[in-house]
Amino acid sequence: MSAKVGVLIYPGTNSEDETLKLLHDVGVDARLVHWSEAATLPNYDAYVLPGGFAHEDRIRAGAIAAHDRMTDSVIEGAQKGKLVFGLCNGAQIVLEAGLVPGTGPVRRPTAAFTRNSPNGKFICRHVHVRLAIDPQRCAITAALPKDSLIPAWAAHGEGRLAATDAHLKEIASGGHLAFVYAHADGSVDDRAVPNGSALGAAALTNREGNVLAIMPHPERDAWGFNHPDRARGTDMLAPSGGVALFESFAKALK
Amino acid sequence: MKTSALAIRLKIPDNEAFTALGALQRLEIGVTRLERADVWVFQAEDAHAGALLSAVRRNETLFNPNKHELAELEANRPRAGEVWIEELGEDPGLRARLGGKMIPGVRSAKRYVAWRLFGSDNAAVDPATARAAAEALLCNPAIERAIL
Repeated sequence: MSAKVGVLIYPGTNSEDETLKLLHDVGVDARLVHWSEAATLPNYDAYVLPGGFAHEDRIRAGAIAAHDRMTDSVIEGAQKGKLVFGLCNGAQIVLEAGLVPGTGPVRRPTAAFTRNSPNGKFICRHVHVRLAIDPQRCAITAALPKDSLIPAWAAHGEGRLAATDAHLKEIASGGHLAFVYAHADGSVDDRAVPNGSALGAAALTNREGNVLAIMPHPERDAWGFNHPDRARGTDMLAPSGGVALFESFAKALK
Repeated sequence: MKTSALAIRLKIPDNEAFTALGALQRLEIGVTRLERADVWVFQAEDAHAGALLSAVRRNETLFNPNKHELAELEANRPRAGEVWIEELGEDPGLRARLGGKMIPGVRSAKRYVAWRLFGSDNAAVDPATARAAAEALLCNPAIERAIL
C-alpha cells in the first residue's frame, strides 16, 4: 500500500491546489485535509504544509498555525519519523513549531523566517536554490544529485532567515542548511539572495532529516508554462526543475 | 528632549487579539481578556513635545482616526499584566519607521507591540503568567525581545 500524504489546509492557506497537483503528478497518494478534519491527520504517513497566510499571519507568520490542532499531529508525526515538507508559509509554520532547525524544545522557536531585508517589502521573483547538504542528510532530498540546482518562485514578505548568532552557528555547523539561494549557473553570492536571508538560507532541515522547510515555491516552477523562459520556445508541458524535489519526496515515501 | 509613550489601539474589534486570546487559552495560560496596542516611545525636542499627540494623529500611516484611538501613557514601560514585544534586527531608520513621513521635532521613535493580559477576575495577570504568554506565543526570541 502506498504512503498517504496529507496536504494541510489551515484557514488562510492558498497554495494547496498547485501543491496537490504536483504531488499527484509525481505519483504521490496525496489528499487535501481541511482544518475541520484535523482529527484524521494521524492516519496519514506524511504531511505537506503549503503556502499561504495561515490564520492571516496574526502575531507573526506561522505563529498561530504552529499552535493549531492540526499542527499537534504534524509535530507528533515528525517526532515519530514521518516526513514533513513545509513550503513558504508552511516553512514559516514549521519553524514557529520548532521542528526545524529543531535545536530547541518543540514550539520554542530558535529561528524564524521574518521580514525581508532591506526594505521589508513583499517579493515575487524567480530564483534558484542549490542543495547545500549531502543529499542523504535529509530524506526529502535523498534522491537528488549532489549540489542540485532547483528553480522556484520566491513569493514572500517574510522569508529572511533570522536567529541569534549562536543559533545561526548551530544551523551552519549542524547540517541544517539544506538549500541556499544561488544564481542560475549555480554560483552563490549575496546578490543571489533576494531577501537578506542569513547564511543565504532558502531551506532548513532538522537533526533527523525528516523535516524540510523551504521558503521559495518549487511547485510553482514545475512545468514549462511556469518557467520564466516559456516565451523563448520552452516546451510548455515539459517538466521544469521544480519537479525534481517533489520526485525526491515521492521516492522517500516508498 | 522629552520622552513620551503613546499607545495606538483599535477601537473596532481586534481580530488579532481575539485569535491570540484563543491560542493562549488553548495553551492553558490563564487569560480571559487580551488587549493589543502599538506603543511608540518618542524622543522629541522640548519645543515640539507638546504638539506630539496631534502630530501623530496627522500621520495617517501610524494612525487612522476611523479605527484607532490614541492615548498618552503615564510611563514608557509596560504596565502590570502587560508585555511589550520589540522587534530585533536592523534599524530601517527613523523616516521608514514613521511610514516615510517625519514628525516635527521627533529625534527617535521605537515601536513595540503591547499585549495587556487580564485574568479570571478581570484584573491584570501576574508577571509569571505574562512571561508564560510571551514565551509560549507572543514572542519569538530569535527575532523579538519581550519586555515585562
